[in-house]
Amino acid sequence: MIKYVVRRMIQAIPVLFLITVFTFLLMHVQGNPAQRFAQNARVTQAQIAAFEHRWGLDDPLPLQYCKWLGVCGDKPIVVNVLPPALGGGDNGILHGDFGYSVFDGRLVTDVIAQRMLPTLILTVTAYLIWVTIAILAGVYAAVKRYSLFDSGLTIFNYVGYSLPTFWLGLMLITFLSVPPLRWFPASGMNDPYTTPAFGTDSYWVFFGQNPFFAIFDLGRHLVLPVLTLVTVSIAGDSRFVRSSMLDSLNQDYVKTARAKGVPERRVVLRHALRNALLPVITNVGLEIPFLFSGAIVTETIFAWPGMGRQFIESVGHTDYPVLMGILLIAAVSIVFANLLADVLYAVVDPRVKYD
Amino acid sequence: MTPTASDAPADFEVALVSLNQWQLAWRRFRRHKLAMFGAGLFLTFVAIAAFGPFILPYEATNVPYPLKFCPGTTISANLGCPPFNDGHILGTVGGTQEDLLTLVVNGARLSLTIGIGAAAFASVLGAIVGGISGYFGGWVDTILMRIVDVLLSMPLLFVIIVFAKVFGYGDWRVILLVFALLGWPGIARLVRSLFLTLRTEVFVDAARAVGVSDLRIIFRHILPNAMSPIIVVTTLSVAAFIVTEAFVSYIGYGVNAAYNPTWGNILSNAQNDILVGNWWWPLFPGLAIVLTVLGINFMGDGLRDALDPRSRE
Amino acid sequence: MTAISPAGGADPGATVPDRPLLDVRGLRTYFHVMDGTVKAVDGVDFSIPPGGTVGLVGESGCGKSVTAHSIMRLIDIPPGEIAGGEIWFDGRDLLKLSDSEMRHVRGGEIAMVFQEPMTSLNPVFTIGDQISEAILLHNDVNKKEAAERAIESLKAVGVSAPERRVKQYPHELSGGMRQRAMIAMALSCNPKLVIADEPTTALDVTIQAQILELIKALQARTGTALLLITHDLAVVAETVQTIAVMYAGRIVEAGTVDQVLLAPQHPYTQGLLNSIPGVKKRGRALSVIKGVVPNPFRLPPGCKFQPRCPYAWEACSASEPELLPAPNGAKSRCYLHSPEGAGRREAFEKSVAATMESVGG
Repeated sequence: MIKYVVRRMIQAIPVLFLITVFTFLLMHVQGNPAQRFAQNARVTQAQIAAFEHRWGLDDPLPLQYCKWLGVCGDKPIVVNVLPPALGGGDNGILHGDFGYSVFDGRLVTDVIAQRMLPTLILTVTAYLIWVTIAILAGVYAAVKRYSLFDSGLTIFNYVGYSLPTFWLGLMLITFLSVPPLRWFPASGMNDPYTTPAFGTDSYWVFFGQNPFFAIFDLGRHLVLPVLTLVTVSIAGDSRFVRSSMLDSLNQDYVKTARAKGVPERRVVLRHALRNALLPVITNVGLEIPFLFSGAIVTETIFAWPGMGRQFIESVGHTDYPVLMGILLIAAVSIVFANLLADVLYAVVDPRVKYD
Repeated sequence: MTPTASDAPADFEVALVSLNQWQLAWRRFRRHKLAMFGAGLFLTFVAIAAFGPFILPYEATNVPYPLKFCPGTTISANLGCPPFNDGHILGTVGGTQEDLLTLVVNGARLSLTIGIGAAAFASVLGAIVGGISGYFGGWVDTILMRIVDVLLSMPLLFVIIVFAKVFGYGDWRVILLVFALLGWPGIARLVRSLFLTLRTEVFVDAARAVGVSDLRIIFRHILPNAMSPIIVVTTLSVAAFIVTEAFVSYIGYGVNAAYNPTWGNILSNAQNDILVGNWWWPLFPGLAIVLTVLGINFMGDGLRDALDPRSRE
Repeated sequence: MTAISPAGGADPGATVPDRPLLDVRGLRTYFHVMDGTVKAVDGVDFSIPPGGTVGLVGESGCGKSVTAHSIMRLIDIPPGEIAGGEIWFDGRDLLKLSDSEMRHVRGGEIAMVFQEPMTSLNPVFTIGDQISEAILLHNDVNKKEAAERAIESLKAVGVSAPERRVKQYPHELSGGMRQRAMIAMALSCNPKLVIADEPTTALDVTIQAQILELIKALQARTGTALLLITHDLAVVAETVQTIAVMYAGRIVEAGTVDQVLLAPQHPYTQGLLNSIPGVKKRGRALSVIKGVVPNPFRLPPGCKFQPRCPYAWEACSASEPELLPAPNGAKSRCYLHSPEGAGRREAFEKSVAATMESVGG
């Protein structure tokens, strides 16, 4: 088992390496950033050259990549890769150095760290809710096939699956956040009139003083973005669960269980469900990437101060270091989510061989 | 195929009506009510995009309509007027009183063009890469599939937004290209897996034995046998690209609204006025997207059932 | 095959000597599907005495499996429907039992062995779990005792190292081993009747023989009644006492093994025997029954075999024959055994004799 996990992780290394190459190239498609001064008559060629030298832009591209990665640096290559504590270098993403935002000069790691928690709160809440509901609804619809519930779910799935996430968000705001209803706030994580901005030091002080109010306020702001994500995601997932469960219920071993005299409830919940959930586990794991695109969409619509919104803002500022940082974190999470899905599948399905 | 009651001849023998694969698929598709409904819905929007602009009662854009109040009401007209005012079925939007129906009909053109064009282009790219990868195998396969792995590991929407921003400048042709160039890996992986199975079939060996060239085997012998799933995935990706275009234009990095309306950039212009309650502006372009996508999804499901009868739900 | 009415019927406690263990009367099972109604089983009667062995034979689609599933009430409703008939088992009509009563019958009193040992065992539970589940359901034992009984039942079906096998998953066992495990599971609760639905079809030929020997030996040892369902006449010949041949949802011929296999009284049975490759037929083309199984949505009028039957005449398409007594004591659903068919019987009997000659007894 441990061997299997280790082997899968080793297999992930080339992909991770190529992801860094791709991200690096993606951010260089726009050309040399120093050239943006070239139009400015007051900037001399010497100043541009000095700027390029200061930021290492005069290095050949492979060397720039090597430095950005942290393999090359002030120290010899082999030594530079090591952690600083072992005498290695401190530059490059391998050492956690993602550079500085060109927009506001903050450390990229600080910018991302500040935006990480809101994204996690939003996506994890939505994910847990939608996976739970999708499994319950899908299984129930499969067991009660052709019932009113089943037909209703099928219609909901078709419609939900066809709803663009961002438009659903807009519609929820249009009809639930503005007069006459005004049930739920349309944007942000907390009420700006009563609460300090989320994530600031004063917010946590406020949180400590009024925990119930702060959580209630956060919950109120979560309703619409979570509802948006959950609605569109349940559609695809419950359909998958339903067909997996139907498939499982049609298998011979379910008939065997019935022929043994196993009560119907137990046939469904033990014999059929265990098997039906195997593909669901993989599917749910493979959906983690969609959390990122889901986040980018919902966070934009609902002004949720998370990584997705930061990404859109940084695209607007052409803030490449921050964009690279977010892209890398997203891509690496996706690789590990896939790995997790595989390992989980291997754990629950006795037929998977580890070696 | 199992004959059904209607076509069994009177002598109780099996009816052996000889129909080719596509005729059979069309017959199954025609019987699929939801799929026919979806195809009708989609074709309606295609027709609206193609002919709508010529039969609309209003000018394409910017109908000057100086108004203080919406007709017959005391609602301020500076943000547009609700549906069914003065012949504007879907209402008007913005201080210039643009007719929303005209906008939505004109928007259909580019939204559909980008959706269909990007899906077709991405499928062709994916089929080529996947076909080469699956047919030749070996190191070619390894390299191509690593690239596919990487592209599939990147959050696609993020990358699309960056490319659209850097290269797009609001030009719809560039947006279409960006979608296609980033959208092929999924199809490549599918085509590769189909080729891996098909290349071991006897008819491929037979073709190779008589000296047919590799390229000819790929495109003339194997690809036609892999068409069904490719068609289904391409159909469904039209819907995905329409939605992607809408979002990218919505956040302002897609097609420029000043030159070419799309459903996405109409929504983009709508967002500022949502909080003051003109619900019709975001509602109708969005409904156009939902109905088109719904039609495509119904059609895609129908195609899946029709082209591959084994893959029942 | 005479149906003996159980006395009273409603009283399960009353034991009547000679009463059959299983008595199926006029069973009709229909499936309502999109293109119409399939009458998969349409008026089937047969019975099995306690400890008796019956083979239900026919081509695929003739309704033999549906009959078995109907007895177990394992038909999916909808689209299926048991449209009529009675299934008397040990003094009760199974079709009138409540679901929970039926559950005690399933696995406890009637057990079933399926065709595909590959897919009939649940891949995510160990063999031991699956056998002891049946034992726990039908016996008042704790988990430890059930696990021990599972090992014993595996030992009884000739599985080597049963202590190790119970901890294994189905995919770790060979097809033959899995079928043995299925049989162990079926017999673990000492049922009065075992229904084996094509138990050897999915297995290799050498394994087939072993499994058949095993079923025969276990049947003789435990005195369990057996309903063996198969398309393979060779399988029934070696394993059962009486045979019922099914065609298009009906029993067309019924009798003892010797009656049916040595002197078939229905042209369809003759056709089946004719299509068995025999030693004496080497070098000659196998004769097959002309035509195909009729479209279930459009069964022919009269006798269902009539469009394919070489002896058919007008009477055959006018009305459907009853199961008529044949000269050798068996029963056959064929007008050849009616007074009007007497004239044509000679040709049939000659042809049967030729068939028996070529099959080689």
